Amino acid sequence: MRARVKFAKTGIMRYVGHLDLMRFFQKAVKRSNLPIKYSEGFNPHQIMSFAAPLGVGLTSEGEYMDIDLKEKVDAAMALEVLNKNMVEGLEITGFKYLPDDAEKCMSAVTAASYIVTYKDLKDDACYIDNITDLKAKFFDEAHAINIVKKTKKGERELDLKPLIYRFNISIEDKVPVYDLLLSSGSTDNIKPELVVKAFHEFLGLPEFDDLSLDIKRVDMFTGEPDNFVSLGEIGDEH
Amino acid sequence: MKKLALPDDILMQIDKPARYIGNEFNSVKKNPADVDIRFAMCFPDVYEVGMSHLGIAILYDMLNKREDTYCERVYSPWPDLHNLMKERNIPLFALESQNAIKDFDFIGMTLQYEMCYTNILQILDLAGVALESKDRENDDPIVVVGGPCATNPEPIADFVDIVYVGEGETSYGALLDLYKECRKSGFNRQEFLRKACHIPGIYVPCLYEVGYKESDGTLEYFRPLYDDVPAVIDRQVVTDMDSSSYPTKMLIPFVRAIQDRVVLEIQRGCIRGCRFCQAGMIYRPNREKSVDVLKAQAKELLASTGHEEISLSSLSSSDYHALGELMDFLIDDCLSEGVNVSLPSLRIDAFSLDVMSKVQDVRKSSITFAPEAGSQRMRNVINKGLTVEDIIGGATLAFKGGWNKVKFYFMLGLPTETDEDMKAIPQLANEVAAAYYETVPKDQRQGRCQITISTSFFVPKPFTPFQWAPMYEAGEYLRRAKVVNDEMKAQLNQKSLKYNWHHSDVTVLEGVFARGDRRLCPAILDAYKSGCFFDAWGEYFDFDKWLAAFEKNNISIDYYAYRQRELDELLPWDFINCHVTKEFLKREWNNAMAAKVTPNCKMACSGCGSAKIGSGVCHNAR
Repeated sequence: MRARVKFAKTGIMRYVGHLDLMRFFQKAVKRSNLPIKYSEGFNPHQIMSFAAPLGVGLTSEGEYMDIDLKEKVDAAMALEVLNKNMVEGLEITGFKYLPDDAEKCMSAVTAASYIVTYKDLKDDACYIDNITDLKAKFFDEAHAINIVKKTKKGERELDLKPLIYRFNISIEDKVPVYDLLLSSGSTDNIKPELVVKAFHEFLGLPEFDDLSLDIKRVDMFTGEPDNFVSLGEIGDEH
Repeated sequence: MKKLALPDDILMQIDKPARYIGNEFNSVKKNPADVDIRFAMCFPDVYEVGMSHLGIAILYDMLNKREDTYCERVYSPWPDLHNLMKERNIPLFALESQNAIKDFDFIGMTLQYEMCYTNILQILDLAGVALESKDRENDDPIVVVGGPCATNPEPIADFVDIVYVGEGETSYGALLDLYKECRKSGFNRQEFLRKACHIPGIYVPCLYEVGYKESDGTLEYFRPLYDDVPAVIDRQVVTDMDSSSYPTKMLIPFVRAIQDRVVLEIQRGCIRGCRFCQAGMIYRPNREKSVDVLKAQAKELLASTGHEEISLSSLSSSDYHALGELMDFLIDDCLSEGVNVSLPSLRIDAFSLDVMSKVQDVRKSSITFAPEAGSQRMRNVINKGLTVEDIIGGATLAFKGGWNKVKFYFMLGLPTETDEDMKAIPQLANEVAAAYYETVPKDQRQGRCQITISTSFFVPKPFTPFQWAPMYEAGEYLRRAKVVNDEMKAQLNQKSLKYNWHHSDVTVLEGVFARGDRRLCPAILDAYKSGCFFDAWGEYFDFDKWLAAFEKNNISIDYYAYRQRELDELLPWDFINCHVTKEFLKREWNNAMAAKVTPNCKMACSGCGSAKIGSGVCHNAR
């Protein structure tokens, strides 16, 4: 049976990359003595998979990993013992058993939500008084948001508009805070930096630096735009 | 949330920022305000290398068992971060607390290889601590070094306050107790050092004076400056491995370490007595842990780390008395739990092949031989008791078992080596290839067998029977490698053979440091100031800068590396008592010159001197 583990990655753990995090979890699961299933062969490995990787520098309240277990254990106990094997900045926030027909988290992801703000409270974007009106022009009233996306193979034109499901701005202490829901997963994976960059270009701000943003992933979703379901809502504790 | 020493913009632009954040599972958290002694334990190389080191893991655990001490870790910042720290004046910090180590009581560094000497200076420089001991002020950290290169600490004598000679488990307690005592009332650095030199194994370089002969520049005298300072330093040795401090948990790094597994030390020292091998001499006598202790330690470490691999550590695992029982236990108890057993290099025989076939995929793995020399004559000179029959027999068994990859390790530039000895290397490999084609019928072969020959260049080390031996110039090493390469191409089975060899410049430098003296200190300092560090990393090694530093300080490579030393010469490391006597080393040098083999410690005692320790193989029934 398959369990879905939800966790938060915050604080200084933002500097730990995805591969390193996977290795950390393999050892944490092993230390927890959960009856995890192993693959066959000379180098057996735990049957474990992660939803969309989180880039170095980002934090998240909604990360997911699926693990296959040989037998059911009490979900509350599993959550507790896993938490004993975490470090500062990693916290297990959910443990649910998936129905048999549930898609693996890795392929199930279709969207992700983010809260994005600026590390530097004096970023150029903090001085645009009518930024919310301009946002409406950029997003709500636009038919298309055409950008050039750089890929490994070169550059390609892309219309962001249908891939942005929510784009709100609030101002907190004079600093814009973006609330985004973006297409995610194996096709049309849209990073929040890309959206904010396009907005900066629309605003006519000088050169944009990805590292100027403080990005937190809030949650990941599966399903279609009119009916997104959080990966953490699937399954139950029994 | 934990506050990091490095700002976000730096962490986001450097390679592998997780090297510098600490926070590893099983790392020790203490409140610095609650302790008397803060100890920065440093491995002067990059994080992934340093985190793999067992010695540091043992000492970190041992020192933190003391309630009055907080031992934290430090590794060399990679050059990308080094430059940023210099640019912005960020002082070097310890990983756990992220506090600057300049304010610590001790900075301890391990000397695992000579090529890390400039990294010692990098650590001190970034920490903001004076590079030379004489320039340090009363409240600066005490800089203490240990590890295998501490058996000849003279090339770095000016940079350190204390050298801990020998195994760390024995004397650190006394050193820290003394420090605490001295701190209680008006700490005086010089007074503390003077008292510390009376603790067994503690060498304080500034309390000694050195003189050189005008005639040939060799050492004339080496003596204490004061009557109470000991003239000889006894290398420290653990007498009971079972009760000696060993960690029950180990740190789990985020960035993948070189050793990403449980490492179980099964014994210290080696019975073999290979004449080139410093570890085989200085870690005498061979001391084993009992198999029950090892079983318990294996279980506990696997449970506390969650590692999915365990490997054994020792100089010669095949000689461990209960290897069969230990391997059975690991295979039965660990494999079923999803834990891989990775094998140390074992002597290839029916037993080891059986074990290997249980834990590895035969088709993908290889068998390894380290004959170190190609001809029997040369192997007798170095006292490597491995015969052609052992090698061909072992390889044949392996081929029957399905293996078709063989790795060979050899050394070039050994004392008395002739072109014939060099040519014997590919000839031996060719014989092994021939054994494959004779053993495995054509229809059962998976293509050719693959035989890889690797050679390194021999560097004479202190406290070995070869400590008097001359080295060769870099070009001569390459000529020897070419002799091997040319001979390989003349072999019938040359298509099954592959040959790798090392660069030779770094070998010469290693040779200079290994048998160096205090006159090298200013040259190392100048080399660091001209930009040399991470010398063990090919991409950062700059031989020309070293040559310039040597020239400026009148250092002759010829004197330190190429000349044949006389057996009665006073050597810079003679003041250290490694328990193996100079008489024994001389006897072994003469045996080498006569190509005469000395039996291993289990066969017969050769009177090396280490029986005085009172434990280990010397006192077991033969």
